Amino acid sequence: MTASVLPLLVAVALLAAGFLVACGDRPRLHATVLLTVLTAVTATGVGLVVTLADGGVLAHGVGRWPFGVAIPFAADMFTALMLTVTGLLSLTVAAFALAQGRVGTRYFAPLVLVLTAGVNGALSTADLFNLFVFVEVMLLPSYGLFVLAAPGRAPLRQIAGARLYVTVNLLTSTVFLAGVGFVYGTAGTVNLAELAGAARRDETVALATAVCLFALGIKAAVVPVHGWLARAYPATSPVVTALFSGLHTKVAIYAIYRIYAVVFDGDTRYLWVGVVVFSLTMVVGVLGAVGENTTRSILAFHMVSQIGYILLGVALFTEVGLTAGIFYLLHHMIVKASLFLSTGAVEVRYGTGTLGGVSGLARREPVVAAAFLVAALSLAGLPPFSGFVAKFSLVTAALDAGRSTAAVVMILVSLVTLLSMLKIWSGVFWGPVGEGSGGEGSGGEPAGRRIGVALAAPAVVLATVTLGLGLGAELLLTLARIAAAGLHDPSGYVEAVTGS
Amino acid sequence: MLFACLGASLLACVAAPVVTRTVGRAAGWVSALPLLVAATLAVTARVAAPGSAAEARVPWMPTLGVDLALRLDDLALLFALLVLVVGAAVLGYSARYLGRGRHTSFFVLMTAFATAMLLLVLADDLVVLFVAWEATTLCSFLLIARSGPAGREPAVRTLLVTAAGGLALLAAVALIVVRTGTTRISELLTDPVWTRDPAFATTVAVLLAVAAFTKSAQFPFHAWLPDSMVAITPVSAYLHAAAMVKAGVYLLLRFSPAVSDVPTWRLLLVTGGLVTAVIGAVAALRRHDLKELLAYSTMSQLGLLTALIGVGTPAALTAAVVHTVAHALFKSALFMLVGVVDHEAGTRDIRRLRTMRLSMPVTAVATGTAAASMAGVPLLLGFVSKESMFAAFLDTPGPAWVGATVTGVAVVTAVLTFAYSGRIVFGAFAGRTGRVVREAPVTLWAAPVLCALAGLVLGAAPFLLDPLAAGAASVAAGTPVDVHLVLWHGLTLALGMSVLVFVLGSTVVVTRRRVDRVLAPLRATVSGIAVVDGSRAGLVRLGAVVGGWTGTDAPRRHLAVPVVCVTAIALVGVLGGSPLRPVVGDPSLPLDWLLVALVAGGVLAAVRARTRIAAVVVVGVTGFATALWFFALGAVDVALTQLLVEILTVCVMVLLLRRLPVRFAAERVRRRLPAALLAIAAGTATTLGVWAFTGRREMSAASEYFLRQGEQTTGGANVVNTILVDFRAMDTLGELTVLGVAGVAVAALLHARRPVPVRSARLDDRSPLADPMDNTVFVRTVTRVVGPLIVLLSLLLLVRGHQEPGGGFIAALVGGAGFALLYLAAPSDPAARIRWPYLLLIGCGVVVGTGTGLLGYVDGSFLKPLHGEVFGMYLTTALVFDVGVYLAVVGVVLTAFNLLGRQHRVDGPGGAPAPDEVGAR
Amino acid sequence: MTLAVTAGLLVAGAVYLFLQREMLRVILGFVLLGHAVNLALMAAGGTSRRAAPFGSPEELSAVADPLPQAFVLTAIVIAFSITVFMLVLAVTGREDDTTEDDTTGEVGTGPDRPAGGSDAVPGVGTDPAADGGRR
Repeated sequence: MTASVLPLLVAVALLAAGFLVACGDRPRLHATVLLTVLTAVTATGVGLVVTLADGGVLAHGVGRWPFGVAIPFAADMFTALMLTVTGLLSLTVAAFALAQGRVGTRYFAPLVLVLTAGVNGALSTADLFNLFVFVEVMLLPSYGLFVLAAPGRAPLRQIAGARLYVTVNLLTSTVFLAGVGFVYGTAGTVNLAELAGAARRDETVALATAVCLFALGIKAAVVPVHGWLARAYPATSPVVTALFSGLHTKVAIYAIYRIYAVVFDGDTRYLWVGVVVFSLTMVVGVLGAVGENTTRSILAFHMVSQIGYILLGVALFTEVGLTAGIFYLLHHMIVKASLFLSTGAVEVRYGTGTLGGVSGLARREPVVAAAFLVAALSLAGLPPFSGFVAKFSLVTAALDAGRSTAAVVMILVSLVTLLSMLKIWSGVFWGPVGEGSGGEGSGGEPAGRRIGVALAAPAVVLATVTLGLGLGAELLLTLARIAAAGLHDPSGYVEAVTGS
Repeated sequence: MLFACLGASLLACVAAPVVTRTVGRAAGWVSALPLLVAATLAVTARVAAPGSAAEARVPWMPTLGVDLALRLDDLALLFALLVLVVGAAVLGYSARYLGRGRHTSFFVLMTAFATAMLLLVLADDLVVLFVAWEATTLCSFLLIARSGPAGREPAVRTLLVTAAGGLALLAAVALIVVRTGTTRISELLTDPVWTRDPAFATTVAVLLAVAAFTKSAQFPFHAWLPDSMVAITPVSAYLHAAAMVKAGVYLLLRFSPAVSDVPTWRLLLVTGGLVTAVIGAVAALRRHDLKELLAYSTMSQLGLLTALIGVGTPAALTAAVVHTVAHALFKSALFMLVGVVDHEAGTRDIRRLRTMRLSMPVTAVATGTAAASMAGVPLLLGFVSKESMFAAFLDTPGPAWVGATVTGVAVVTAVLTFAYSGRIVFGAFAGRTGRVVREAPVTLWAAPVLCALAGLVLGAAPFLLDPLAAGAASVAAGTPVDVHLVLWHGLTLALGMSVLVFVLGSTVVVTRRRVDRVLAPLRATVSGIAVVDGSRAGLVRLGAVVGGWTGTDAPRRHLAVPVVCVTAIALVGVLGGSPLRPVVGDPSLPLDWLLVALVAGGVLAAVRARTRIAAVVVVGVTGFATALWFFALGAVDVALTQLLVEILTVCVMVLLLRRLPVRFAAERVRRRLPAALLAIAAGTATTLGVWAFTGRREMSAASEYFLRQGEQTTGGANVVNTILVDFRAMDTLGELTVLGVAGVAVAALLHARRPVPVRSARLDDRSPLADPMDNTVFVRTVTRVVGPLIVLLSLLLLVRGHQEPGGGFIAALVGGAGFALLYLAAPSDPAARIRWPYLLLIGCGVVVGTGTGLLGYVDGSFLKPLHGEVFGMYLTTALVFDVGVYLAVVGVVLTAFNLLGRQHRVDGPGGAPAPDEVGAR
Repeated sequence: MTLAVTAGLLVAGAVYLFLQREMLRVILGFVLLGHAVNLALMAAGGTSRRAAPFGSPEELSAVADPLPQAFVLTAIVIAFSITVFMLVLAVTGREDDTTEDDTTGEVGTGPDRPAGGSDAVPGVGTDPAADGGRR
């Protein structure tokens, strides 16, 4: 696979989106195009993983302008893995949406396609300002998706959530843009390859880049700027929450990993800040989760906690630490989406996600229950699921790097995680059967109807993946190791971009 | 061989669903077979490798150095046999115990559990051991949970306690792996670090002890075991007698060679074990439910085992090994027999059993035998193990009083044990009157009778155990130990104690009624269950508090935090005080201050504005001031864009103001002040930032390239425009997408929720301006002339954009302004001629933009502009690209006017309300 | 320096405004913030050279840096798009544009109940009772 394919990941999705917007309300067409493009994107991701398995890097100056002028697109193993998993997630969520019937509205498919384009661009670009642009390309469709609802039915809570989501993200982007401006002002370039190691050499550049990193930190919902996610994500529809959970915060995390590795060259002077902040994130997030009373607000707070885990990988900045962090990142994307989709299926079908609002589903919906349980245990880091491998490798990496406090925090937090997962389990899947199911609040639908296969399948598939990644962890571990090596010593990445 | 052994037991688990479907509850017999096969395989494997231990391994996670490594030494074999044989017995028993039906989940989980335990004892890799450990936790959770609603809370508590222990183990595992650099148990146990680094050894020892204590229900983690008795009898018999609780014992024995010299380890195990032994025994003596009684007795017996391991002498370890076997046999037998009684008599409560007559000879005899073994009556294995236990306790290393105390406590426990053993037998079978309960079918009592019998045989001929016990003890001691178990030790002190135990014990049994009365008032001051539940509730409350910090949708709360953080970063920068490069040239001209003043005025007015319209206008002023700034800085295109964007923004705002109150709500000073302070801080931070980070270097290399090469390479004189459509077209593509999607998003939003109705404008109908037709006549006439001109102008701007100021955006914004005029000129919303297929325009814009970009692949790359002479006129695809931009912008502007401009106008509050008003009423 | 002061003033105003209750003020705050960051971007190119960048000038010492201008152009348009969306959000709330938490319980079914979760397609998670649920 050649480097010039990278812009296509953006172009094709955009073209399809524009096409769908233009040809209006044609559900079948929308569904076909959406699934085709997402499959193609995922396939390309896999292709890139295979191509870059030797630790190589693909780089391409868009427009074939000389280096330093062109916007470089580059992909190493980390990029390829992210492209694959984001593609896979979008595909699964799209399938869920199809089963739910949402694609019927003329807006869903185009918006998801633009979002995909934005994600692919943000992952592939090696230019800070272009990163800003693609983050916006991700955000605008997200605003649209956030407020999607049946005609005239969006409740005030959803609008309030949207206001929160939009304003916070706008502030974030503005701060990031200012940071980019400062970087250009101090270093005279926004090209990652030209910025390589700049923050290490020049403290003003470091501070300017820190502004960018902080903005990305807000996007990733790091404590203390985590509140917006915990409030906004439960306010939209389950399918959109699932989609966002896999994409937005994760792209921010990717960018943090990349920028710190390249621009700071993994400078060890500032790592302690990360360790402190991210440990705090774990704790605050998980406590917030235990306190909540609806499935999605619990899961949303968990994202915060888990993001602490993931980012700890970069705060360790040892090769094992980065490997663990990347593995954790990918595992988390899959498991989280699975959880949001299984509980989402319940919410969609039974009309509520309040604990106790619907209960006793374990017997009524054994498949969904099983999918949830698997994903939940994986999230809590129990074997034999991928979560265990992720947690174990991260804990050992932390101890190895002499961050024993962080390791202790991780271990304690995972117990609380289990506790809150049990809270959902006993709130939704146990308890008196029938109460709430089909009855209260779900529009008097016949209580006889259950979650269909199509609606349950996405969650089940992802749950199976996490089991597979647990038993067959080696494959992903090897790939993560390659990706980590590319971050630990970014020279290969930098040379490739410079040579493009 | 070892994998075959593991596979056999795994087979039982995998096959279970099929088997249950075909033969129903008889699956018990069927799935018992693979376990026995596995047992024989294990024995043969051990025999095949007499000197060393049998090993097998396949790589699992080489990246982490983790292999699926199995190792079968005598310790492993001993526990493997317990797990498999007792497991087979319990499965056979349950085949008859369970009611007719499938019980698929039961058989799957039980066999899965057996497999997990087998893996646990065979594992030679620390991580694999941990995986198996957690697997047993999960199985027990599910097995307890499947016993109906009553089982859920206990299941959750059990899971939480044992999972906490699991985390302690995880910590230990991680520490060991990091420190010794290997995950192979057989290697890391012999690592010198244990002796070289006492701190490390102590930490690991404590963690391991905690893990084992939770698993083996040792004080203070004992609450879950009696709690979990809600599970059906076979589960209790297996998990809480033979298998799961023994996992903790196994862990202690396995690591004993490495940490047995750590004082803390000894202290923890001996004290913890003995405390548990006593409280367990006392509690058992107070119970009326036989099963509960057995649960507490299990705790007590495991306490003795733990204490023995803590003592850690070869003799003690041997005693531990032997007693493990003895306990597994009599305890599983007793559980199953109580189950038999329960099954036939319909109760297992002593008080109710008194009221009926159990004529169940076999069950009675078997119960007697097993209980006698537990009580340590001669000719039974329990006696042998108890003798060696006393002997071992007597010569506990350390000062004499330690040995004395330890032995004393052990004797007390033994007395109590004897007492509650009697309580079981007499409690169950003492009834002489009332309903007659007949003997159960042989299929039901076969398994327990066999277990009890095994105890008898091994008790009569203890030397049969010698080789295995010796081997296991040697592994645990880390040094060769030779064991000669005999019934008769001669007149030793231990024998004397046994006699004492018999005397005291039998007196307690005889006087059991009185003892009951003495013990009844005793109450445990604090129950472990309460503690677990309490801490759970506490965590939830704490969580609610933490969540409350951010528990609002109001953006301002969430926006304040990042602003504070940014200011903090600036502060760090100031305090850090890294040297700044000198300022290049003269960054500010005198005239600039006019602009500063203008902006300042605008900002101040915006902040103080009390009505919405005023706020919009003054913010517009600052917008124009900013545009002037751009002119002053030589950014013509930027200034134009800023100007047009400002106009359009104001137009859209005006459309919306009709739907909002005129005035802002008054804010209390208490709220205004913090905002003001934060605002000032942020402003200062910004000024500092801009001052420190900008204007301190020469022109960047890229910009120099644009200025020198731009025109030649792109044929465009407007450098900024060439950057937009040629060099950094990717940015522009993203930008036009954003704009277009904004239109789609707006459409989606208004599809999902109708805007609040337009507020009725209080018009004075007598005023000459009232009639829209008349008072718009001027604008309409103007528009008729200007409208086409504007459109032409926008097209002109579009075409020349590459050379002169202009370009797609500016052109389209001008066009948009044209449409705005069209709209405003219309006498009424319906008359406004702006019904255009806005989404179509947006779609086409994106398609054209991207399509042009794709053409670039002809010349090797996305968005590579193609140049060419067409009819002598110089053309570049960049221009086409700009057309895409144009379409998108016009599209979004039209979206805004179409959707917000002509809303089904509502006159006054009486009109058709939005759905939410319905809800509000 | 002048530019730095301008940006500072704008940010101060912006922060004050988006810490207010009304959505419109929040939006206006962000408009100001946009101006501020755009000026900061311009400053990043250096403000001592101010000649408009056209053609291929021989002497660069006076010509303004074109790259930040391109950046700002992009930024302005993006900000405009978001502003439009936010303005529509401002009028799709309750009767006015307050952003304080909804205490009237319009969404009686609680925060876990975005009707967005249930789309128009009957049966598939639709809840005709969404309104009923609010009563």
